[in-house]
Amino acid sequence: MVSKKPQTGGTVLFNVLQQHGVEHVFGYPGGAIMPIYDALYDSDIKHFLCRHEQGASFSAIGYARASQKVGVCLATSGPGATNLITGLADALADSIPVVAITGQVATSSMGSDAFQEIDIFGLSLACTKHSFQVRDVNELADILHQAFAIALEGRQGPVLVDIPKDIQLAIVDKPVDNIYVAKRTLVDSKVNPQLKIESANIGTALALLKQAKKPILYVGGGVGMADAVTELREFISVTDIPSVSTLKGLGAVNPSDECYLGMLGMHGTKAANFAVQRCDLLIAVGARFDDRVTGKLAEFAPHAKIIHFDIDQAEINKRRKVDVSILGDLKVNLPALAAPLSIHEWHGECKHMRESFVWQYDHPGETIFAPAVLSEISRTMVKNTVVTTDVGQHQMWAAQHMTFEHPTNFLTSGGMGTMGFGVPAAIGAQISRPDDTVIAVTGDGSFMMNVQELSTIKRFQLPVKIVLIDNSKLGMVRQWQDLFFDGRLSETDLSDNPDFVMLANAFDIKSKVITKKEQVSAAINEMLTHEGAYLLQVKIDASDNVWPLVPPNTANDKMMEST
Amino acid sequence: MQQHTLRITAQDQPTVLERLLQVTRYRGFIVTGMTMFGRVDESVLDIELTVQSEKSIDHLHNQLNKLIDVDGISVKKSDALQCPT
Ligand SMILES: Cc1ncc(C[n+]2csc(CCOP(=O)(O)OP(=O)(O)O)c2C)c(N)n1
Repeated sequence: MVSKKPQTGGTVLFNVLQQHGVEHVFGYPGGAIMPIYDALYDSDIKHFLCRHEQGASFSAIGYARASQKVGVCLATSGPGATNLITGLADALADSIPVVAITGQVATSSMGSDAFQEIDIFGLSLACTKHSFQVRDVNELADILHQAFAIALEGRQGPVLVDIPKDIQLAIVDKPVDNIYVAKRTLVDSKVNPQLKIESANIGTALALLKQAKKPILYVGGGVGMADAVTELREFISVTDIPSVSTLKGLGAVNPSDECYLGMLGMHGTKAANFAVQRCDLLIAVGARFDDRVTGKLAEFAPHAKIIHFDIDQAEINKRRKVDVSILGDLKVNLPALAAPLSIHEWHGECKHMRESFVWQYDHPGETIFAPAVLSEISRTMVKNTVVTTDVGQHQMWAAQHMTFEHPTNFLTSGGMGTMGFGVPAAIGAQISRPDDTVIAVTGDGSFMMNVQELSTIKRFQLPVKIVLIDNSKLGMVRQWQDLFFDGRLSETDLSDNPDFVMLANAFDIKSKVITKKEQVSAAINEMLTHEGAYLLQVKIDASDNVWPLVPPNTANDKMMEST
Repeated sequence: MQQHTLRITAQDQPTVLERLLQVTRYRGFIVTGMTMFGRVDESVLDIELTVQSEKSIDHLHNQLNKLIDVDGISVKKSDALQCPT
């Protein structure tokens, strides 16, 4: 409804957000964004006050990833804006649609080193897909529409809109209503990439596929981002092709497919890495040959021809020269290549590898084995549970030992590997999916990086479950120091951690610590059946390592499996 | 070391040059020459960027092409090192 009252920039902002279906935003106020917060006071949009702008940015990411909507975060100028930077970088690396709104000092003060003035536009160049600085309140609505279109279309990503304080207060010539007008499409070809099928390339790809005796499907995060999980699963069922997944691709392939070999790369399964090293055709789908995936690039999939499906032309031939590229929407292009194959022998070989290289959970002594705990949680949790992680050993164990039915159910910082992601991302996920269980798997190092967000959990009574894998170490760095730096454990000891149970209790979060194997099942059960938030601290041995591990600059089939 | 000239048409935004140069530097190219002029009565800029790198020019071409304000790019190989006068 357009009210008769003159509209300010602040009002326009929330009206346009509503037009794009935004119901929830994450933020933190301050001087240069006060007019926007004043407009928020009258808006139907629900604001979640986080306790650090980095928390707000990760919650926006978690919200976006769990719901496939755009995540929105707000921050004031200067330090508020710089605190968003890590979240923007994370969203760029993982192609997550986020719109970040920052307040800026008034246009008359800009460029004068004013109080809390920072050139956030300049800072945004390296960590956003695009950014805007608004100079005229009458352009604000259009800029915001563009921001949403750019964040969502093609390869998704974060967009920043910097709004000076005088523009937040200025009155627009033409009021903007707040009626939801579905997704606006822009005519710009850049924003709206080709959806047509590249028929010539499809033909070549089909020929390669027919010739192949040992094809592998290499599934990346792009499948989930393109909402093409159904098409991918259909492709697999028609072709019977064995598949592997990247960290961000987990959940795309049906985990019980008899020829799904799990994650490839540095901490990938033996089966996945062996199969990729032996294959004669690698079909990359929404994946980008990242260094954690390929190991030593020159020796990655050495016998394979490559078909690369992607939405981003710049990913084609970036790290590995391809034989055929198929650009565009996976939803359209994947079905075009789905034809039955005669690869029975290879299928059998891959199935055999899947069966032979199953995870072993026997672990000597009484101390708890984190992979076994995560595997048990995975088997116990209800369908459609969302799991977020932080970064480190616990993250790799979660990726290895938990299974997901959809990529929107596993949220982890892939490209950036940002510690501090897990808890605020879980908050965002819980807000976007209030009826689903949300579990944050974290480490004792990462947890402390955004521990202030326990306040957000408390304030909004979010039933987030936190599983804190506590090795009293920066475990992943410690593992590398032991393996590759002669055991010189420089600055990785956390044995003076706070009392995590007491800490959780301070935020009214129920909590328990377990130290022995026999306590695991009951504790998991108690956590998952508890109605509110819960922190389960799981003490493990400080020297447990993540295996397998492909050492740096090594081919993926030369993995280490123990010290 | 190879030298190429990129002919870029872009939206006449005050920020476009900064974006082009940021991507060029980040992707590992050195700018050895640059000219820029606006078309009269059109909100379009013509920019010629001469760059040098060991890397394939396709990488830079593809990355610059993704910039929202860039409308088009053509690439020309330039053999002689030019003086940016
Ligand atoms: C913000 C940030 N700083 C530093 C790192 C480097 N880093 C990667 S893993 C890791 C250790 C993480 O420790 P913890 O959260 O306890 O997890 P663990 O490996 O012990 O499971 C560090 C410091 C990072 N990824 N992100």
